[in-house]
Amino acid sequence: MTLPLAHMLIVAPKREVWWIGAIEALVILNALLLTFAFMTLIERKVLGRLQLRYGPNRAGPFGIIQPFADLIKLVRKAPFQPDRLIHPALYLGAPVLSATMAFLAFSVIPWGGGWELYGYQIDGQVVNVPISLVVVFAIGSISTYGVLIGGWVSESKFALLGAMRTGAQLVSYEVALALSVLGVVLMARSLSLTEIVAAQHRTIWYVVPQIVGFGCFAIAGVAEVGRAPFDLPEAEQELVAGYHTEFSGMRWGLFQIAEYVHMITVSALMVTLFFGGWLFPVLHRFGPIWFVLKLAIVLFCFIWARASLPRLRYDQLMNLGWKVLLPIATVNAVATAFFVVLR
Amino acid sequence: MLRNWLPFLIYGLFASGITGLMLFISFALSTRARTKPAQQGLPFESGVSTGAPTRQRFTIGFYLTAMLFILFDIEIVFLYPLAIVLDKLAWFGFSELVVFVGLLAVAYVYVWRKGALEWE
Repeated sequence: MTLPLAHMLIVAPKREVWWIGAIEALVILNALLLTFAFMTLIERKVLGRLQLRYGPNRAGPFGIIQPFADLIKLVRKAPFQPDRLIHPALYLGAPVLSATMAFLAFSVIPWGGGWELYGYQIDGQVVNVPISLVVVFAIGSISTYGVLIGGWVSESKFALLGAMRTGAQLVSYEVALALSVLGVVLMARSLSLTEIVAAQHRTIWYVVPQIVGFGCFAIAGVAEVGRAPFDLPEAEQELVAGYHTEFSGMRWGLFQIAEYVHMITVSALMVTLFFGGWLFPVLHRFGPIWFVLKLAIVLFCFIWARASLPRLRYDQLMNLGWKVLLPIATVNAVATAFFVVLR
Repeated sequence: MLRNWLPFLIYGLFASGITGLMLFISFALSTRARTKPAQQGLPFESGVSTGAPTRQRFTIGFYLTAMLFILFDIEIVFLYPLAIVLDKLAWFGFSELVVFVGLLAVAYVYVWRKGALEWE
């Protein structure tokens, strides 16, 4: 079943060559890195303003080159490692695995409708596969291994405890997260993110009929990336840092990259599933600009939540995931299924 | 179909290349102390360090959570394909869904009553 509107928005494939995908991949990866770098700055700036102080303002005007100063500091740190590692290769591999998988999960997010340039077809996402939603969850879950390996291999009490804590939190909220999007899949009848965006354009942004699913997704998403108020993986004021206790310098920086890129991916997924992705009722031509605007709003809400909400206790965290979000998401999915069949 | 995955492979190569390069650069450009401080390699401890832990024991809750995760995540994996074709299967598909979720609800209530979801 092809749809006339989808044809209008998604240009029929003309000439697809592999190096266009390669260029797109490079552009998106660098855009992600740049977004990460400036997210760290914007987060500190916004947090500062919300707490009635300035935030970083020494490096360059408005602290604009602070991320690069941080990068240089991280790169220049002495590369020491604990004496009694279980395996040095795993110790170095864990952060690399985490960050790589975080980057990889973003590859299927659509950020535009596709263009035709000099007879070549340029897709609106790097990877266009019919199961892109499953790919995001699958790849995102592999990142958990980086956390578990990193905590276990450093042979330290706090790192191991932190890894277990984080692992349990991530898998618990994975269930609620995957169930909360089931309603969207039911309504769009597709696992392809491109199709879900097109389906929302035909009907309505899914945040309206799927408001319950959106709520579950938002809460589980924040918990899944380990951000405040669910930032028990770090909990720097109350508990010892966690799985990256024994990591420093750029190896710690890679874990940090993984966390922020995950946050960007979950925000992009939220925009795609519930807020119409790169489409807006007017001015379709500016697809990527709409996408970035929506993404920026969601990312701001992440920072806002960190500044406003107190951290949960661990038992409250687990209760919320298993006893509240899971039943609500299941009931929401069954109710959506009922209405889909009824129609 | 397989062609669609080629950009995924390319993207994955670039992504691992960039992260690997970052790690490499941090080793190439880092500062090194001429003499290594004796205590530097000890595991972190907020107090008197007793060296690395030899054997660690954990609350059973972590293992239980992992098993429950597998149980419920597989549930979702089964529900995804059904969700796509549900409008074609109509009421038959819906009744199957209700039976499936109902069976899981029994297991869920059992797990809850047994106290597997409790943390203290």
